[in-house]
Amino acid sequence: MSGAVSLPAVTESSRDVDDARLLAPGPLPARTRPRWSDMAVRAAVLACAVVVVAATLAVILFVGRTGVHGIREVGLGGLIAGTTWKPEAGVFGGLPLLFGTGVSALGAVVVGAAPAVLAAIWVIELAPRSVRAVYQRVMEVAAALPSVVYGWLALLLLVPRMDTVARLVHGESAHVGGEGLASAAVLLGIMIAPTVLLLSLDALARVPSSLRDASAALGASRFQTAFRVSAPYAWRRILVAVFFGFARAAGETMAVQMVIGGARRLPANLFSPATTVSAQIVMDMQNARPGTPAADALFSMALVLLVLSGGMVIVTRALMRRTA
Amino acid sequence: MSAPALTNRPGAALETILSRALAAGAILVAFVFVSGLVYLLARGAPRLVAFTTLPFPAQIDGEDAFRFALAASLAALAMWGARRAVRPLLSAAVDRALRVAAIPVALVAGLALRTHLPRFLIGMPSETEPGGGIGPELFNTVYLAVLSTAATLPIGIGAAVYMARFARAKRWVAALRAALDTLASLPSIVYGLFGFLVFVVALESGYSLLAGALVLALLNLPLVVGITEESLRAVPRELEEASLALGATQVQTTLRVSLPHAWPGILSAIVLAVGRVFAESAPLIMTAGTTVSRANAYSLDPLRGGETLAVHLWYVNSSGLAPDRAEVSAGTAAVLVALIATTNLLAARLAGPRKK
Repeated sequence: MSGAVSLPAVTESSRDVDDARLLAPGPLPARTRPRWSDMAVRAAVLACAVVVVAATLAVILFVGRTGVHGIREVGLGGLIAGTTWKPEAGVFGGLPLLFGTGVSALGAVVVGAAPAVLAAIWVIELAPRSVRAVYQRVMEVAAALPSVVYGWLALLLLVPRMDTVARLVHGESAHVGGEGLASAAVLLGIMIAPTVLLLSLDALARVPSSLRDASAALGASRFQTAFRVSAPYAWRRILVAVFFGFARAAGETMAVQMVIGGARRLPANLFSPATTVSAQIVMDMQNARPGTPAADALFSMALVLLVLSGGMVIVTRALMRRTA
Repeated sequence: MSAPALTNRPGAALETILSRALAAGAILVAFVFVSGLVYLLARGAPRLVAFTTLPFPAQIDGEDAFRFALAASLAALAMWGARRAVRPLLSAAVDRALRVAAIPVALVAGLALRTHLPRFLIGMPSETEPGGGIGPELFNTVYLAVLSTAATLPIGIGAAVYMARFARAKRWVAALRAALDTLASLPSIVYGLFGFLVFVVALESGYSLLAGALVLALLNLPLVVGITEESLRAVPRELEEASLALGATQVQTTLRVSLPHAWPGILSAIVLAVGRVFAESAPLIMTAGTTVSRANAYSLDPLRGGETLAVHLWYVNSSGLAPDRAEVSAGTAAVLVALIATTNLLAARLAGPRKK
């Protein structure tokens, strides 16, 4: 046994790795001859990593290729600017879908993300310490609930109330109802709130307590500390949380499909039925035969979601690069 | 925290009002979710506790085994709850005896109760008539979680071990991280489209549980890799150095020291991933289908199609014709939520402070 162990070469070999601190203890020539079982494990682990990268590329390539094919078939102009989506008649105007996705996701940020961030500030900075664990557990369960459950609950509880509101706003005889953009936006807001809240809690918990102590020592109240010290310190991560909420709202499918009404034209107002990219995909894919323009056009619309999540990754990375 | 002398400064009154408004708003946010959950469970409960006392004979292959497994799990769950409730009153010896007896008692209870379960939990779904159940959906949900985890687990842990311990090339790590970030940000409908293109169009294998399971495995990879990597990096360096100092290779150290130490974190990642399999519906509609076939409702063949609880809840609401679909939805949602809440609390327990 003695003498077989050579000194670790940690400092030398970890220079070329991403983060030497995190890769401890580093590769070690513990035996003079490499064991075949060690080699096998290394190869297997590398293979797993290759599978992950390959699968990601496959998702982008498969969906992207079919989407581009769809654009070639039905034309980019119509897909972006056309106002009627009628695959059975060969009319592919994607504007109602894009409009529905954009408006409902933006509405969700207003309805859900803003209260979520404020609630997170209250929980971390102002609430009694015992509140946090309970609050966090409730939000974790809420974030894990299936979107169909949210959709079903909204059908029971939200849509009838929205119907009343619509009639108050537009009058009894107007062609408005509970199923529509407004319901979708409120529902999406409720759905993204737990996620945004949990991420904001995490962001605020990372604020060093020395900053809070310094602020208190200068005579600031907890309210002042919360809004002038902690929130400004954590704003990048909070912004990432809000972006994440927006992307989740834009990509959400089943719940929106259940409450938005499914009208494939531009909505007249917030209370008229509409549709979104993902809701239309899930509805039409059940009938569309693969390889037909009707199916390919849906993949072209899915490209929007793909690009959106790509943008999301880039924005997150840009914002996080500057945080310590 | 603030000095009392400063409470008289200008704006202090406004601050108090704003603070209270903030508190009220935050409590309202939590209240919305808690009351939603309570409403959901209360509405679904009547359908769930509608016990049948008449024997309900099995008619389909595998149905008897499914009922036995369900009855045994429910009995085990009930005993676990009861034991927790009365544990302070028990001596250590009785507690140990109960723990030893739990498995045989659960098996016997499973045998005895398998024909007396709530009809809703074991019945076949019905498209047009009242009284439909969710037996096959429950089975598919659990079976899909098993299939999906079997794929996520090795690949996820492997990739995490590579990132945390063996990676040397900076570019590879960067590529892997970019891939995981992209996967994590993709909407689930895109996974569904991908699965549809690969399994239904390219491989022409039709809707199948295997396709659904593999797509969900891919969807869960960022979660599992992320938590596993984090747990591996939290392993105390001294432990690994001690192992290396004893002459173990780095592979041996990783397999026998680091991974066992990181195991609670990995387990909680798996449980969270299972919860997402329970919850997901959009990708499954496009890969596993929305139907349940009477002939092979409880078959273990992964190449058959089948709907899960989440998909069933959507299907009943959007295309179901049964007159009692509101009650069926309520029961399905309550079962689904109970499953997910259980997995989530389990994950929190597993990831919590270690017993030592």
